[in-house]
Amino acid sequence: MLVCQLMLMAEGAHIERADPGRPRPDNREPRGLTHRRRNALTAYVFILPTIIGVAVFMLYPLASSLYHAFTQWDGLTPATWTGLDNFRYLFTEDPTFWPSMKATGYFVLLSVPSGMIFGLALAVLLNRAYRGVRIFRTIFYLPVVLPSIAVLTLWKYIYDPLYGLANQVLSALHLPTSDWLQSPRMAMPAIVLVGVWGVGGSMIIFLAGLQNVPSEIYEAARVDGAGPFRMFFAITLPMITPILLLQLVLGLVLAFQAFNQIQVMTGGGPDTATYLFMYKIYTDAFGSYPNLGLATAEAWILFVIIMIVTAITLKTSSMWVFEENK
Amino acid sequence: MSALAVEGHAGAHRARKVPLRYRVPMTVSRLSWYALCSLLGITMLVPLLWMISIALKPSSDILQLPPQFLPSAFTWSNFVEGPQQIHFGRLLFNTVIVTVLYVFGSVTSSMLAGYAIARIDFRGRNFWFYLFTFSIFVPGIVTLVPIQRLFFSLNLIDTWWPLFLPAFFGNPVFIFLARQYFASVPRSIDDSAMIDGAGHWRIFTSLMIPLTKPLWITMIIMSFQAAWNDFLNPLVYLNSEEKYTLSIGMANFMGALNEANPQFNYYMASNLLYMLPPLLLFFLAQRYFMTGLGSLVMTGK
Repeated sequence: MLVCQLMLMAEGAHIERADPGRPRPDNREPRGLTHRRRNALTAYVFILPTIIGVAVFMLYPLASSLYHAFTQWDGLTPATWTGLDNFRYLFTEDPTFWPSMKATGYFVLLSVPSGMIFGLALAVLLNRAYRGVRIFRTIFYLPVVLPSIAVLTLWKYIYDPLYGLANQVLSALHLPTSDWLQSPRMAMPAIVLVGVWGVGGSMIIFLAGLQNVPSEIYEAARVDGAGPFRMFFAITLPMITPILLLQLVLGLVLAFQAFNQIQVMTGGGPDTATYLFMYKIYTDAFGSYPNLGLATAEAWILFVIIMIVTAITLKTSSMWVFEENK
Repeated sequence: MSALAVEGHAGAHRARKVPLRYRVPMTVSRLSWYALCSLLGITMLVPLLWMISIALKPSSDILQLPPQFLPSAFTWSNFVEGPQQIHFGRLLFNTVIVTVLYVFGSVTSSMLAGYAIARIDFRGRNFWFYLFTFSIFVPGIVTLVPIQRLFFSLNLIDTWWPLFLPAFFGNPVFIFLARQYFASVPRSIDDSAMIDGAGHWRIFTSLMIPLTKPLWITMIIMSFQAAWNDFLNPLVYLNSEEKYTLSIGMANFMGALNEANPQFNYYMASNLLYMLPPLLLFFLAQRYFMTGLGSLVMTGK
């Protein structure tokens, strides 16, 4: 739709350009240099806010937090250089560092695949021209529209063992009930389930990918006698691998930074079952005993982990991502 | 496929039999599709229906065991008394101010930067583009502590400035999207405008803005959601209750509820009101929510 609109505009522009009475602008004309300089000036005026933003809100904080990762700093007194002390403390002494790593790994391994599988399944299910399909798409997308805190506080009550919906439904179906967020075993799956409720977001992106697969390929496969499963695994899946990769990287990056769920629903508990690393960083930086040096060290550890995981994903992607232009 | 093949070289009696055999599974598969979608759809909606039901329950229903799915009496007054509990009006006002400034700032600055990078030839454009794109990949938590210290030294802690000021200095994701979108607009449009003596500012304001409506509407929606949902930043920067935004207010409301203070009906009613503005925006601009991001991703490919 967008492309059509742009094509139409282009047509109109061409007609205007055909007017022979006017000279064409050209950089190689005598006044080219001033023209080019004026261009550069305009461009820098346009991107100046962003340059300031990148400098003040990205480059400076990045350097500052890297420096402070090697300091002892409570925010009240000046930071003192302590070398690798923060990292040594985290890796060897901090009682919550490794549990928090374990919880984060578990969360990522549960939430990223479930989001992608359910998102893709819904997208395949809803990639039809049946009447009413738009209503279903709207319903599945609805939870994505709602504010994250509204959703999380709602689910916190859904998981209430006594009054919550989850146990009401389970007992109505004569299934065993659970303590959900208060159970060390179920707390993490319960948090992941809230994310699955919002799977409509990845569904929409997968749908865009599915609709981009040329229908002639399906026609050809159908003529060759391929069944629906064969078509899905031999055509659909390879054709949308670029979208899968995008979703995988986005999902990983976001999952490593999950915070709201923990702050609203569990506070990291029970024990350290849901003590996600991002929540640990927040607690160390802004909790009752601010330890900003330690928190910046942890933030950099998280950054490096995200970079490594993303790099591995991208590096291995050439093995499974289908590229049209090759 | 096989229907065609069979019709081709089989007798008339077989040709009549085949469509029937194929038509029946077709209807069955279509019906089971509707059944499956309805089942999934209802499952998705049940938590919301449950919330509406609690929002309408009288306070005497809340601690009832076993809980009933429907309210014993429809208590519409919850929608007045609930919000009063947490000064909902003030929280809403605060959130609207922050959101409007955030949306305006991020969309304007990113549109300008995206336009300049995509459509003006100047030395260093690639460098800046790569730098801006690189900042997409820097997790917010890495820069949070120094930025918080920066606002602290500017005496802006416990104000709304830290919540919206950074938005005025460009949003890397938006700049990336804008750059891709602007790059897809034909060059000839600028050329013909330049013949008429228009500068980049005029081309941007009078030609590009109308042309890129899907782009900036998508940006408005995305930045609205970012600001309306923001929880970590208000949590870090705001201390006094009268400055709280709705996300903090609602989280604290829920956090304070328990069996001794079971105002869950008030909470659910307020929560519905908190959800209402994004829902309204969604139903007004559904096209952009559901196709906007997808098609932007596809054009960016």
